Amino acid sequence: MTLKEGLHAIGAISKRELHLLTSTPTFMICIFGSPLICLIFFLSLMRAGLPKDMPIAVVDLDKSALSRNLIRQLDAFEQTRVAFNANSFYEARREIQKGNVYAIFFIPQDFGKDASSGKQPHLSFYTNASYLIAASLLFRDMKTISILAGASVGQQTGRAKGYTDDQIMATLQPIKVDTHAIGNPWMNYSVYLNNTVLPGILQLMIFFSTVFAIGSEIKYGTSREWLTMGKESMSVSIIGKLLPQTVAFTAVAFLFAAFLYGYNSFPLNSGWGPMLLAIFFLVIASQAVGVFMISVLPTLRLGLSFACLFGMVSFSIVGFSFPVAGMNPVLQSLADLFPLRHYFLIYVDQALNGRAMIYTWSEYIWLLGFLILPFLVRKNLKNALLYIKYIP
Amino acid sequence: MDIFTIWLDEMKKALRDDGVRIFFFLVPFGYPLLYTFIYNNEVVHEAKMVVVDQADSYWSREFTRRVNGTADVQVVSTCTDMKEAKTMLDEKKAYGILYIPSDFEKDLYRGKQTTVSLYVDMSSLLYYKAFLMSATEVSLDIGKDLRMHSSPAGSTQLDKIMVEPIPYDSVALFNSQNGFASFLVPGILILILQQTLVLGIGLRGGTEREKNRFHTLVPISKHFNGTFRVVLGKALTYLMLYIINCIWVLWIVPRLFSLPQVGNPMTAVLFLLPFLFACIFFAMTLSGIIATREAAMVYVFTSVIMIFISGISWPEPAVPPFWKFVGLFIPSTPGIQGFISINTCGASLSEVSKQYHLLWLQTGIYFVTTCLVYRYQIIRCHKLVVRQYRYMKMRRMLEVKQAH
Repeated sequence: MTLKEGLHAIGAISKRELHLLTSTPTFMICIFGSPLICLIFFLSLMRAGLPKDMPIAVVDLDKSALSRNLIRQLDAFEQTRVAFNANSFYEARREIQKGNVYAIFFIPQDFGKDASSGKQPHLSFYTNASYLIAASLLFRDMKTISILAGASVGQQTGRAKGYTDDQIMATLQPIKVDTHAIGNPWMNYSVYLNNTVLPGILQLMIFFSTVFAIGSEIKYGTSREWLTMGKESMSVSIIGKLLPQTVAFTAVAFLFAAFLYGYNSFPLNSGWGPMLLAIFFLVIASQAVGVFMISVLPTLRLGLSFACLFGMVSFSIVGFSFPVAGMNPVLQSLADLFPLRHYFLIYVDQALNGRAMIYTWSEYIWLLGFLILPFLVRKNLKNALLYIKYIP
Repeated sequence: MDIFTIWLDEMKKALRDDGVRIFFFLVPFGYPLLYTFIYNNEVVHEAKMVVVDQADSYWSREFTRRVNGTADVQVVSTCTDMKEAKTMLDEKKAYGILYIPSDFEKDLYRGKQTTVSLYVDMSSLLYYKAFLMSATEVSLDIGKDLRMHSSPAGSTQLDKIMVEPIPYDSVALFNSQNGFASFLVPGILILILQQTLVLGIGLRGGTEREKNRFHTLVPISKHFNGTFRVVLGKALTYLMLYIINCIWVLWIVPRLFSLPQVGNPMTAVLFLLPFLFACIFFAMTLSGIIATREAAMVYVFTSVIMIFISGISWPEPAVPPFWKFVGLFIPSTPGIQGFISINTCGASLSEVSKQYHLLWLQTGIYFVTTCLVYRYQIIRCHKLVVRQYRYMKMRRMLEVKQAH
């Protein structure tokens, strides 16, 4: 087969595929439906960047001007909302168990009196750590308010003893810790999650769609016709078949990028080039993994199950929520088998931190490395295409 | 008796179907183990940090030493300038920089507040948390020690008040080490139960349609004549299989990995019953809508959405009203919320009554929709049989006529 013939065959198969794609609802759901639903869902869910007005319960056994002032200040925080005034700790705890509040702020009896007379009253706060994100954000607010309360009392005592404000601060808190969250100073959750969850959805749908496209040929017994169009060459047949999907998925992926980095102005310290390249590589690497899946398990339902399971695990093993370095060593090496993992590392280096390419190029190579997979199992797939008869 | 015929028939078919076996057995068995294994280290230990110590003094070295001593942080190197430290971040040899300014010790001795700076790679929020907590803890510790040093005789009650006028303490309830597995895995487990039921039942429905003569959900047989019979018989099969799955997924797996399990088992059972019913009828309704067997699996992408709608990670009060409304129709929303309250926080049934009632309501609604789906399928099947019969009869008559 000459190059020209090959290109011609690829064109013919692509045309056939394009017709299949547009006439099968499943493909439309894979390529456009679910990615767009997820895009709308996640961007609207986390529009605010950080969850606001999370309910807490307050147990105020003091009911003095000082305690009421504390509660008012706590309520004024953007993320905290005092939703429940409990008469006892027990009552507040029940609200936590009901899931109505995420935390309890406890002010003991005679708090105001003890504070002004120097008896060191204790403030206590409790967070429901089974909702980790809410708990840690509320913890921050309640801690701040406790420190402020202490500072204002300390200031009064200190002034009474004739210290300057500088001296007082140095006594109260000799060493201050100043934190800088590199790349995401607002601690925006949308930046943190959507940069990985959305490409993850795309990866899942690409696995699915690739397996579905090839698996359907086997199931409906049309694989010989397809191979004939590709002049019996596996490479030509597969490239022709997947090319329309590559184009469509890349377009959707670029749309994602436009929403993340353009519309939402998420950090893009590397400029567009490296990220668009990474996205394109993610698309073709996922397609290659999809071909591998259906080649290893050449029945539609098994191949698709493989795609589902592998695609879902990648959300966890990629390490954007719980870092890979904190996982068991076995999982750390397994994580490399997921294209999304390498995409995530590129994103961290490039978009988030704007690092030099020298630190990242190996991840791009990893993504390209996935393209070898289909070649390893091409015999398996060819046999399946030629000889397997579908048994329902 | 027909219910049992249908139950037996469904049980046999479910056990024989490859796809069903994956989603009813393999996934509920393996996935909980895998997910728990992924998150089981709970917290990040020994997050790598590099220190830029420009003070290079006793107290700055002491600060570094103590940060290194905390369980969460490991100081991998001490550099003299920021550039070198930044390179280490670029090379992923560290994920955070602690910068101690040159005036650090001088300020401390002069009684002036001093500042240390923390720069954190935001690839994971857990690093941020680990570094911030450790550095804050050490800064408070050293602050106390310093005050003892600078005025050894000054530890009178009055000075203590001055130093710490209002002490505070914090408690992380129900998950005392703020662990990741204890937080996320119970929700994932509940979701696995629901999603495997939907996928398994969806595949079963698809197989039926492919095998049955008229591509309907129910075969032509006198046993399959009544809607209730068919629906209840099949539901019984799934219920029995999933009671076993529940025991493994929600009781044994959490034990194997010592995840929090403080709830009353009886409460959990009572709560899970409507959850299973709601999931089963939810799944059976969906299986009536989705026509081909394999295509149903695209559905899996909804898992990511459902876990966020449930409010386990993104707090429920911050979920926009529209998505909250969507969440009302998904069994995993009340399922996850209620199960966490019972299992992790030790709530009683009356405390999760909102979720419990919603689950029964969903059970009722999806039971009705399931019946409608099956009723439609049975009627369609009948119509097709009758049409086929008439067609055959007509052809025979024509043949007889022609023969004459």
